[in-house]
Amino acid sequence: MTLLSMTLIFFLMMDPLGNVAYFIEVLSHIPHKQQRWVILREMLIALGVMVFFYVIGDLLLDFLEVSDASVSLTSGTILFLVAIKIIFPNSRTSRARMHGDFEPFIVPLAIPLIAGPAMLATVMLFSHKFGPQVLIPILIAWFLASMVLVMSRHLMKTLGRNGLMAIERLMGMILILLAIQRFLEGINLFMTSV
Amino acid sequence: MDVLIFSLAFTFFVVANPVGNSPVILALIQDFDYQKQKKIMFREAVLALLLALFFQFFGELFLGLIQVKSYALTYCGGILLSLVALSMIFPTPPEDVKQMKREPYFVPIATPLIAGPGLMTVIMAKSQEMTQWWVITVAIVLAWIPVTLALVGSPLMQKVLKRRGMVALEQLMGMILMLISVEMIVSATMMYLNS
Repeated sequence: MTLLSMTLIFFLMMDPLGNVAYFIEVLSHIPHKQQRWVILREMLIALGVMVFFYVIGDLLLDFLEVSDASVSLTSGTILFLVAIKIIFPNSRTSRARMHGDFEPFIVPLAIPLIAGPAMLATVMLFSHKFGPQVLIPILIAWFLASMVLVMSRHLMKTLGRNGLMAIERLMGMILILLAIQRFLEGINLFMTSV
Repeated sequence: MDVLIFSLAFTFFVVANPVGNSPVILALIQDFDYQKQKKIMFREAVLALLLALFFQFFGELFLGLIQVKSYALTYCGGILLSLVALSMIFPTPPEDVKQMKREPYFVPIATPLIAGPGLMTVIMAKSQEMTQWWVITVAIVLAWIPVTLALVGSPLMQKVLKRRGMVALEQLMGMILMLISVEMIVSATMMYLNS
């Protein structure tokens, strides 16, 4: 897998474009000047978590005795369910309930919106499969995602609420594509291992 | 060349299937008033057109980059449509007023109903065959004139069918959509097993 595809996959899985509206909503009661710092802080935390899983990925998989096929299937399943909730929003889902009046710290922005379980599973899977070079696409994708989110207010102004909603749904659809692909790869791995 | 463009446009029109899909779409947006329905239809038609044009130029590249095979695209369409079909056959009462008025945006109307995996695959295949890229573009835009007309015109049907007719239509169309989606899943499975 090339560097470019890995970067694109990581970028899409962090889903910055789909999360813009949600970020704005969660940060709405924080003064504008402070928002940027909150976003940066949350992104740094997310990066920390991702790098952590990148480092311990191999160890963790060996320790739990989990095969590549299972990680692939897990990542596919979780991503699929997350994406379904993006496409068919429901007021009962945690995504709509997660924010209150408190300042968001770690939850819900850094985890699970940016570094969600599906993302972390993919980080582990890729670093297990392709070795240490996976860190570079993670960093590039993270940087691009941060740029998008820091500019979220401008994006909202140019695209409008409806434009953002359309993009959110489109991204959800792409996430489902990725999820299904990952799931089928998991089945392939399983088939070749038996 | 002129004939070719028209035959391509006709193919795209048939694959997008706005006439066959419009009762389904109508059932999805039956809670809105007539003017709003026309607006939604027009917007979804434009979004579907943008998506179709995007796929003409970048479809192959994009799917290649994120390493998604064409059967995954078909699975995606099939699974999404089957979920929509299930919610049409077994409608759940809306939890609150806000929920009821939630507009469908992009998914499921623009994609995967109009610009679905079928259309994307056809467009990508045809643009591989053609040497001049503008032929496909013109054909897509040409196909979109009747597509848009069919979509924007379909809310008229609700005036004819009234409330009871719409409930019956929703059930019936849910069943048909389920058939379409299962067919997609089956053909995706065939492609997957053959690969």
